[in-house]
Amino acid sequence: MKKTIQIPLGSQHISLLEPIRFKFECENERIIGVDADVGFVHRGVELACTRSFEFKQVGYVVARVCGLCAITHSLSYTLAVEKLLGYVANDRIKYLRMLMVELDRIHSHMLCLAHTAENAGFEALFMQIMGDRELVMEVQEAISGNRVQFDYISIGGVNRDLTSDLCDLIRKNLTILSEKMEILTGLFDNNWSLSLKYKGVGVLSLEDAYTYNALGPLARASGLATDVRAETSDFPYEALGYTMILESTGDIHARNFVRLREIVNSITMCQNIVDNLPIGEIQEKVKGKPKGEDIIRIEAPRGELFYLVRGNGTNMLERVRIKTPTFSGIPAMMEVFKGSQYADAPAILASFDPCMSCTAK
Amino acid sequence: MKFFTTFRKKSPWILHYNAGSCNGCDIEILASLAPKFDLERFGVINTGNPKQSDIFLVTGPVTYRSRERLVELYTQIPEPKVVVAVGSCTATGGVFRGMVNTEDGIDRYIPVDVYVPGCASSPQLIIDGLVKALEILEAKSKEIEKPFKLFGAIETIGNKLSRLNMAKKVHNDEN
Repeated sequence: MKKTIQIPLGSQHISLLEPIRFKFECENERIIGVDADVGFVHRGVELACTRSFEFKQVGYVVARVCGLCAITHSLSYTLAVEKLLGYVANDRIKYLRMLMVELDRIHSHMLCLAHTAENAGFEALFMQIMGDRELVMEVQEAISGNRVQFDYISIGGVNRDLTSDLCDLIRKNLTILSEKMEILTGLFDNNWSLSLKYKGVGVLSLEDAYTYNALGPLARASGLATDVRAETSDFPYEALGYTMILESTGDIHARNFVRLREIVNSITMCQNIVDNLPIGEIQEKVKGKPKGEDIIRIEAPRGELFYLVRGNGTNMLERVRIKTPTFSGIPAMMEVFKGSQYADAPAILASFDPCMSCTAK
Repeated sequence: MKFFTTFRKKSPWILHYNAGSCNGCDIEILASLAPKFDLERFGVINTGNPKQSDIFLVTGPVTYRSRERLVELYTQIPEPKVVVAVGSCTATGGVFRGMVNTEDGIDRYIPVDVYVPGCASSPQLIIDGLVKALEILEAKSKEIEKPFKLFGAIETIGNKLSRLNMAKKVHNDEN
């Protein structure tokens, strides 16, 4: 019988932004079994949404489920409630909401790329990407007034308008960013020492991605064509230059490349939005109380975000159910770890871009 | 001893722990370590090891499962140590106050030296908080490095030798 050793990773570790614990069953350096524990940050947001907050406040509460994709959470909730109230937003509101979601996607993907580079031992690249990321953060701060938790979306519209000065700032920063993205793409593609850490490491095959229900960039890196932006028609993504980005190899390199190319795609979409911004009101009055049940799906930076909202005609909601992309991705993640080296585990973990506060809520 | 004081002041290493936050403050801590805000100019390095750290950065209201780990990490950091609570929810619970699984702030479990407000705290505020923490760290180091005379006059509390009271500071004796 072969002897195995158990090595824990977490709950507090230098390579982790948030608490998650893995128990790796190792045979020499090779991982043969994984056990994950994800519930360290469970706060009980879903319950509080139905007990302590009225439905108009809940949009700002669910944004605090996750700081990275805060805008997608508040957008999904707001859309679900607006559907129940029978309100359809005008084009300007839709475009402004899309703009913030895409900016959020850019900064979230850049953080993930930086983190993957750091965990692979490339500290200088981490610093470089984080420096470039400030261009997007600047734009977000200028538009919404806050860098991370921008409570930009409210029921019936958005809270701030886009002036012509802001449009100029967005155009300027995004142009600089798209030049920087070319340099970064070259680095990720051609750097030999990075390729040793990334190419052929942590492979998720197309069959496994399909079987274990992978979502978002994790699935698209394996060639599984799934993107809520293409499947739903809540927003005019097709008209603004959206293309689905697919890679085939399914390793860390492919995941990085899906993210890099999605950033470039999102930059194009943001520029299109700013150029073709329709005229209209940014905030409209919505009357009534939500009654009935509705679901909504939005593409968060990590994959499909699902919301179910049920109301009974009063100020308090009956049920808010949040299903986040990382939660669905955990079985696929555990599968990828099996068979890879223990030394690669932090880089593989970072390449999934896991969001534990989303998962545990 | 002066050797340690100098280097502690010049290179305070931080330990970061997420006690149930929404990631917002955590990514701002990362952003403040990055080139634009450059916290590393104070000599700050993010370490994962509590035994090498001086400053403890905590984010988030304490959740039920993270409190044991929070206290354990705190006790593993060697003296002198400074605790910086980043974010509104670390101070009072913030938006998570009263939720079923949270504990409304970390000062129920460990003593806090600096509170950094904001949801999410901006890098400027975090830098401000850390500079304040450096001052406190310096004061604490001085306090800890005052020489002790271990055997002063014999004191007893309730028929037992009180070693704590016997270990008096030298300058106190002189006064």
